[in-house]
Amino acid sequence: MGTSVQVTPLCGVYNENPLSYLVSIDGFNFLVDCGWNDHFDPSLLQPLARVASTVDAVLLSHPDTLHLGALPYAMKQLGLSAPVYSTEPVYRLGLLTMYDQYLSRKQVSEFDLFTLDDIDSAFQNVTRLTYSQNYHLFGKGEGIVIAPHVAGHLLGGTVWKITKDGEDVIYAVDFNHRKERLLNGTVLESFVRPAVLITDAYNALNNQPSRRQRDQEFLDVILKTLRGDGNVLLPVDTAGRVLELMLILEQYWTQHHLNYPIFFLTYVASSTIDYVKSFLEWMSDSIAKSFEHTRDNAFLLRHVSLLISKSELEKVPDGPKIVLASMASLEAGFSHDIFVEWATDAKNLVLFSERGQFATLARMLQADPPPKAVKVTMSKRVPLVGEELAAYEEEQERIKKEEALKASLSKEEEMKASRGSDNKLGDPMVIDTTTPPASSDVAVPHVGGHRDILIDGFVPPSTSVAPMFPFYENSSEWDDFGEVINPEDYAVKDEDMDQATMQVGDDLNGKLDEGSASLIFDTTPSKVISNELTVQVKCMLVYMDFEGRSDGRSIKSILSHVAPLKLVLVHGSAEATEHLKQHCLKHVCPHVYAPQIGETIDVTSDLCAYKVQLSEKLMSNVLFKKLGDYEVAWVDAEVGKTESGSLSLLPLSTPPPSHDTVFVGDIKMADFKQFLASKGIQVEFSGGALRCGEYVTLRKVGDASQKGGGAIIQQIVMEGPLCDEYYKIREYLYSQYYLL
Amino acid sequence: MKWAVPVSTCPIKGKPYCFHLDHAASLPYFLEKTTFKGRVFMTHATKAIYKLLLSDYVKVSKVSVEDMLYDEQDILRSMDKIEVIDFHQTLEVNGIRFWCYTAGHVLGAAMFMVDIAGVRVLYTGDYSREEDRHLRAAEIPQFCPDICIIESTYGVQLHQPRHVREKRFTDAIHSTISQGGRVLIPAYALGRAQELLLILDEYWSNHPDLHNVPIYYASPLAKRCMAVYQTYINSMNERISNQFANSNPFDFKHISPLKSIENFNDVGPSVVMASPGGLQSGLSRQLFDMWCSDKKNACVLPGYVVEGTLAKTIINEPKEVTSMNGLTAPLNMQVHYISFSAHADFAQTSTFLKELMPPNIILVHGEANEMGRLKQKLITQFADCNTKIISPKNCQSVEMYFNSEKMAKTIGRLAEKTPEVGETVSGLLVKKGFTYQIMAPDDLHVFSQLSTANVTQRITIPYTGAFGVIKHRLKQIYESVESLPDEESEVPAFRVHERVTVKHESEKHISLHWTSDPISDMVSDSIVALVLNISLEIPKVVVESEAIKTEEENGKKAEKVIHALLVSLFGDVKLGGNGNLVISVDGNVVHLDKQSGNVEGENEGLKERVRVAFQRIQNAVKPIPPSVS
Repeated sequence: MGTSVQVTPLCGVYNENPLSYLVSIDGFNFLVDCGWNDHFDPSLLQPLARVASTVDAVLLSHPDTLHLGALPYAMKQLGLSAPVYSTEPVYRLGLLTMYDQYLSRKQVSEFDLFTLDDIDSAFQNVTRLTYSQNYHLFGKGEGIVIAPHVAGHLLGGTVWKITKDGEDVIYAVDFNHRKERLLNGTVLESFVRPAVLITDAYNALNNQPSRRQRDQEFLDVILKTLRGDGNVLLPVDTAGRVLELMLILEQYWTQHHLNYPIFFLTYVASSTIDYVKSFLEWMSDSIAKSFEHTRDNAFLLRHVSLLISKSELEKVPDGPKIVLASMASLEAGFSHDIFVEWATDAKNLVLFSERGQFATLARMLQADPPPKAVKVTMSKRVPLVGEELAAYEEEQERIKKEEALKASLSKEEEMKASRGSDNKLGDPMVIDTTTPPASSDVAVPHVGGHRDILIDGFVPPSTSVAPMFPFYENSSEWDDFGEVINPEDYAVKDEDMDQATMQVGDDLNGKLDEGSASLIFDTTPSKVISNELTVQVKCMLVYMDFEGRSDGRSIKSILSHVAPLKLVLVHGSAEATEHLKQHCLKHVCPHVYAPQIGETIDVTSDLCAYKVQLSEKLMSNVLFKKLGDYEVAWVDAEVGKTESGSLSLLPLSTPPPSHDTVFVGDIKMADFKQFLASKGIQVEFSGGALRCGEYVTLRKVGDASQKGGGAIIQQIVMEGPLCDEYYKIREYLYSQYYLL
Repeated sequence: MKWAVPVSTCPIKGKPYCFHLDHAASLPYFLEKTTFKGRVFMTHATKAIYKLLLSDYVKVSKVSVEDMLYDEQDILRSMDKIEVIDFHQTLEVNGIRFWCYTAGHVLGAAMFMVDIAGVRVLYTGDYSREEDRHLRAAEIPQFCPDICIIESTYGVQLHQPRHVREKRFTDAIHSTISQGGRVLIPAYALGRAQELLLILDEYWSNHPDLHNVPIYYASPLAKRCMAVYQTYINSMNERISNQFANSNPFDFKHISPLKSIENFNDVGPSVVMASPGGLQSGLSRQLFDMWCSDKKNACVLPGYVVEGTLAKTIINEPKEVTSMNGLTAPLNMQVHYISFSAHADFAQTSTFLKELMPPNIILVHGEANEMGRLKQKLITQFADCNTKIISPKNCQSVEMYFNSEKMAKTIGRLAEKTPEVGETVSGLLVKKGFTYQIMAPDDLHVFSQLSTANVTQRITIPYTGAFGVIKHRLKQIYESVESLPDEESEVPAFRVHERVTVKHESEKHISLHWTSDPISDMVSDSIVALVLNISLEIPKVVVESEAIKTEEENGKKAEKVIHALLVSLFGDVKLGGNGNLVISVDGNVVHLDKQSGNVEGENEGLKERVRVAFQRIQNAVKPIPPSVS
């Protein structure tokens, strides 16, 4: 029997919620994608929480919040501990996306679902693969091979192929068959007849205009605004589609020698571009080619300036400009603030390049007609002053005292328990572990990072704390970048650290941009103040589809080409899912499933199969006929046993039984017409049939609507009176087939 | 079935794996000027550098235009034919699968694993198992190859540990500079040069006292390639990616490029890395001539030096050297030879092979004596594990045969029940690449992109005679001629041999319908012939006379024919009792039962002959039963 396959959606079916599905193959549980949305609502993760501990491996497909946003939270809070697999760009850009999300959130709220450390440690056990790399799982997953393939849409975007015993399960969401500036189109179409295909219905009802037309409109509307002395805001994702937009703008600006400034503003803008520069091998052929020929890295941006804080933007002289800022949902991040500032001026333009997530500000603004005014919450982190500060410090002191007391108590117990044993009492490094954060959570990453490293190096018992430390006043010196530290203090542990921890340290301390670093290391006590205000939306609002997903029509034709034996539809509005389901039932395959959240569907193929060895004696008598990639032959064989006890096929000892002749092949009427014409026979189409010569007609009957896939047996009818031509044409017709 | 694996010839595809001239330089010629039609695969970094390197080579080579094997245009054209492959990416060409592993050695260098029907061949190319400042060590493949083709450049030699070499290198430079001398490092533009620059840049960073001493690399090619090094960070090791998190390690902080000697302001101590590495000519030689007579200066030779070059000569520290203008100059500068070569040494080769334990080892790329010594040493090392070690000469092909067991997967309807031993399996055997599947014809379209077709034929024949005549005549030929129920087809019709339907379409036409296959076609042909004959006969033959012939008469006639034919075959044939025939040949007598076809008698040979003859006669005389096909 075939491999057992079950699919359980955890989130994101019959709606546009984040994606997260459980695919179980012979008992090995894959969590494919682990998404969250910009609201970070933990209730969305309920179904995931129930199964998180049973997950054996996590596969990530795209580096955006919808596909991997919940990873840090699930690792920290839900008990997810499985190894994660992704491509290098998904890993790296996903990490940056999460940093940006965290920093944007932290700026406007007491965000405490996860910390930068949680992000780091979640991404620490990601195994990075390259496209088409067949990765053999081991241990429990022995026999399963996973391979990422090009999906388009986002840099590093992946169509996952999971293979066991020759049966393929393919997970392909948000793919794009069209080649773009940044990325090649997906290779999904090269897979034929997989056992199971899991895909999304997100775009099933959408149709796109041609790329050229769309690009032109995009540039036209931007230029119109700029020439009218207005500013353009493009709310974008951190490291996904924004790359394509930047390439479009760069190219156009270069070609037309424009000098309106373009800014890319996220908390991680400059490191994003630094990394993207080193991902050339993941980009489109044309980018690779131009690099080979001119060594011009497409992301050496000449017209786009990278900014990592809003104050830098404020320093820019007034005048028309374009700002690409995260988040695309306008819920948080720089785009939110800029929107509030710019929305009131009719000259400005807010250009959405993707559909906003459900129930976000962006989605509201994309409604038709757009709202005249929207209510927004402006939040700001301000340092504590006066009484508040005093109260805060008092509170901190109290907490510290309590902790110290507790620590000393537990210490005593510990001492009693393990009397005389060396529990690193004198180790000054250990004392550090009790140092409570000097202020709110913002400071945690700094100290926490340090703590993590220590724990990695040599794990002190949790109770081993010194009673005399810590200090309460932070007497260190400060500069623009935060606390002035002495690198020597940290030098010692570098030597002891293994590579993995070193990387975490680097990620945290090194690559973060100065602005964000200042935020992380900013340990001054602060609080968030919010005020609600109503913004009159006077600016122009435009939505254009730059999502880089295949549209409804292409999805349908790709699906019927891939022609899976079983199809599972996920992620898409109820309407779109139902629409695509009905379409596929009619045109793709009879087994189409669209499960509800938590509903486990069994898509085990009902295929029967067994393996046999082909004996040399048999094979030496088999004459193959070549047909494209395939070679076919008819075999009649007797079943025998090999020495090792497996079945083998031997030649028959008796004359083979007769069998019905099989015509193998697929003729296209148009091709056959050409062929006959080249043989000097007059041919023409008339009334759906091919008239050959004077009398003979050929027609194809049966379900002509069945496109691609070749899911039925072709029926060809040949009619004509008795004449020479009849037999001649029959001969030609036969020549198009292999008779077996 | 066996697989011959040609080794020293290029069977299906050329696969340069590293950009050094000795690996890829013939490629434009090969692609553009020979009949080679295959495909070429390279890693991304290799392809980028390949172009720069060969263009540079074409520009600087001093050969006349006619003697050039290829030009810039050939290189550009060859670029379009080269496909890229990423490390670990599995590609398939004609069913042969291959992928590559990191090889160390230089940026983008790869070891290829080729899998032909389960037989795996690993080609290491130049590889190094030692991780350095920017490259990963060559990986140990996950699967053991059946054949390992391995380089033997360093034969049985051993390298110094990396940190010792690096220390010698930096110490030599530091001491020269602190004495106010200049350091010349003649090096090949790519590969080791980048590693040395990383060492120098890092050393300078750690020694602030050196910050005022400039370091130059004087190679336009190296400068052009720096963009490639700055880009393909992900092909390098962890160390580089960690540094990259802070800043690109190939954005050197203390090193600057030097365009030519004219731009070089030679005041005070400096370190210059210049090509060519052999000091034959060019910038490295110009600097050498300038600096060689001052004993404060030093020359560090960082890699393999080719026989016959000045670099090789100065290793032996002669008293005098000849400068480019033909004058002799005293050689006072210090000469250090510190090999940074990134080829595997014996220790690496032997542990690599021990890990892999390939049953067959083929040694290539190495000087004959060195290779011989390596072979001997490996033979002793693998003495008790039945390993075959071969070192073929150029153009000598190595043939090896592997028995690969072919497994097929029976799927779909055919596989509903796993058969027992002795049962038969009939179906389509479909081969794609090297995988086999057996399936029922109806399942073909389910499991492959192939489809099957039915061709229905309908042919009309003019016929004006009585329809019954055709049926009657056909009955004499075919046992099965069934009238079809009338309600289905409104015209009289019957089915011949269970395959072909004959319809009386109108007074003037009959039509034949059938689904194509060789037998049906034959049956229909016979019907057509018969119908045409009847049409011809109509005027003279009285149809009724045939129609009234009774079954009995037919039977009698058939018996007569059988008797006559047996007589013609065996001579003495008599009628015996119970309708048996008695046949006697040369005194041997057999009895033939006409009804059952049983033959009784003493002589086995005769019995068999009579049986066969009777069967054949029966087949010929009687109508064809439908089971015969």
